Amino acid sequence: MTDLVVDCRGVGRIYGDGVPVRALESVDFQVRRGEFVSLSGPSGSGKSTLLNLIGGLDRPTQGEVRVDGELLNALSEPALADLRLHKLGFVFQAYNLIPVLSARENVEFILQLQGVGASERRRRALEMLEALGLAGLADRRPGELSGGQQQRVAIARAIVTRPVLLLADEPSANLDSVTTEELLKLLRNLNEAHGLTIVTATHDPLVMGYSRRKVKLRDGAVVDDAVVEPV
Amino acid sequence: MPVGLLVNLSARNLFRHRRRNAMLLLAICVAVAGVTVLNSLVRGMQEDMRDAAVENLTGHVKVLAPGYRDDPGIQHRFAPGKDWHSGVSGDALAGWAARVVVPAVIMSERETRGLQLAGVDPARESISFLGDVPVLGERLQDAGDNRILVGRALAEQLETDVGYRVVVITRGADGSTREAGFRVAGIFDADGTALEKAFAFSGLRYVQSLLGTGDVTELSLRLRDDAATDAVVRNLQARLPELQVLSWQELEPQAAAMYAMADTAIYIWFLVMMGALIFGLVNTLITAVMERTRELGMLRAVGMRRGAVLVQVVLESALVMTAGVTLGLVAGAVLAWMLRDGIDLSRWAAGAELAGMSSRLVPRLLPGDLALLAAMSLGFGVLASLYPAWRAVKIEPLEAMRR
Repeated sequence: MTDLVVDCRGVGRIYGDGVPVRALESVDFQVRRGEFVSLSGPSGSGKSTLLNLIGGLDRPTQGEVRVDGELLNALSEPALADLRLHKLGFVFQAYNLIPVLSARENVEFILQLQGVGASERRRRALEMLEALGLAGLADRRPGELSGGQQQRVAIARAIVTRPVLLLADEPSANLDSVTTEELLKLLRNLNEAHGLTIVTATHDPLVMGYSRRKVKLRDGAVVDDAVVEPV
Repeated sequence: MPVGLLVNLSARNLFRHRRRNAMLLLAICVAVAGVTVLNSLVRGMQEDMRDAAVENLTGHVKVLAPGYRDDPGIQHRFAPGKDWHSGVSGDALAGWAARVVVPAVIMSERETRGLQLAGVDPARESISFLGDVPVLGERLQDAGDNRILVGRALAEQLETDVGYRVVVITRGADGSTREAGFRVAGIFDADGTALEKAFAFSGLRYVQSLLGTGDVTELSLRLRDDAATDAVVRNLQARLPELQVLSWQELEPQAAAMYAMADTAIYIWFLVMMGALIFGLVNTLITAVMERTRELGMLRAVGMRRGAVLVQVVLESALVMTAGVTLGLVAGAVLAWMLRDGIDLSRWAAGAELAGMSSRLVPRLLPGDLALLAAMSLGFGVLASLYPAWRAVKIEPLEAMRR
């Protein structure tokens, strides 16, 4: 098992067929197991592009991206889907819960995609919801939950598969500061107590404050990369 | 592929926009119920046409001497063997009748008309319209009855009535002219005037004696199941190689063509209804897919494969079609049941008669039609979902990241 969970070398991404837009310029970026990294920078800096490339949601136009030792450039689309399913957890800005499923079912369905048996996935989903303080809300649908509760369900969904890496895209964007703080404590606990590797793209100084490594991007390049003591 | 998850998601998605999907369900239900009722009416009309063709002395199968169809006279007669029908299973055979049918001239004191004089055994004519046709006066009593039964339209033309005498002139088996006087036993009132004008009936043995022969010109068989017709024709033809064995479709090609056309009409009607419906279904599914772009992107982002996304959309369509078709079939069957006494077509009786139908159209629901309708509707539903499903499959995982 390699210590590097993310290993990006010379990664670039150019968009557009007509006038090309360079979203990312030959970036070298590594994340070690157990790190909590925030990617920050102004809009258009390339932080989301980098997150998408690490998550296998997009492909680089140059360079190599490895996740847990696997070279994503070489993977077919189904193989990328399998990698996302088994090794990565995603937390989206808009939570992206399925409104017709209950909180438990939203957590459970990803295990169902993995082929986990009914009783096992139910048990794991309930355990995860309980661990995240949502035990009493398991049967509620997303529309019946607050923004913070929905984001916690989204985190439960992302980590119930015990991923190698949790990717969070602006996880606090739709939350108030109190709820954001609760969420960040939860992420830090997952990182410190369970060794979960987390990479998050964010504008939010609060999120950056909770991470242990701050990577700043500007114009598609890493301009600062510092390990800090979290607040 | 997590089929259980996909079925669960598809089923619940149907309840996401209840009003919209309820309208779609209603549209499918109305279309399927409409097609079901119309099918049942077309089947009723079709069976009417076939029954009319079969009952007007034709039967499902007829045995004739070669040449009789081109020149229907006593010169083309034959003597059926004693067990000529032993090749036909007793279960398949509803009944049979031997007849002598020859061209003749009938005269009253006032008018003369040409017609077909038919010698029949009344005891065997339950297989034809003669068995239950309304008769003013008396029916023929037996094969030896020397009276005559004429149609209402002919009686009006001849200006004759029950108990009056008429004279029939025809050609005997030896080629000589034969003439006989008949008393009118009764006047029959058939569904159409064509039969009333074309035929007059007397006892089989009496007509045979008039013609100077013990032979017959036709054997007519009525079967219990129309579907057995071809097999019976083949069996009989093998048994009676010197005679012509013909199905009702060959004897009544116009009725057979209309019968076949009714099948086509059912499919055309079905295609028109489903074609119109499919636009609504495609539109609803595309709207549903576009509304869920981010959700479908999320499913792809977390590892759901394109094939599973496609199946999910197809399943949604299949589920809504299954529900709509089931409700539609039930509604259609109930409507057809409510029309079980038939629709009175007497206002258009002349047109109906022309088409070989009775003046009351009774719907007939066939299980095969219902099964075919259900299968084709579901097939159309799946086809209609392919384009929306393709649109869903094209959604990239990156959509989940859109802000």
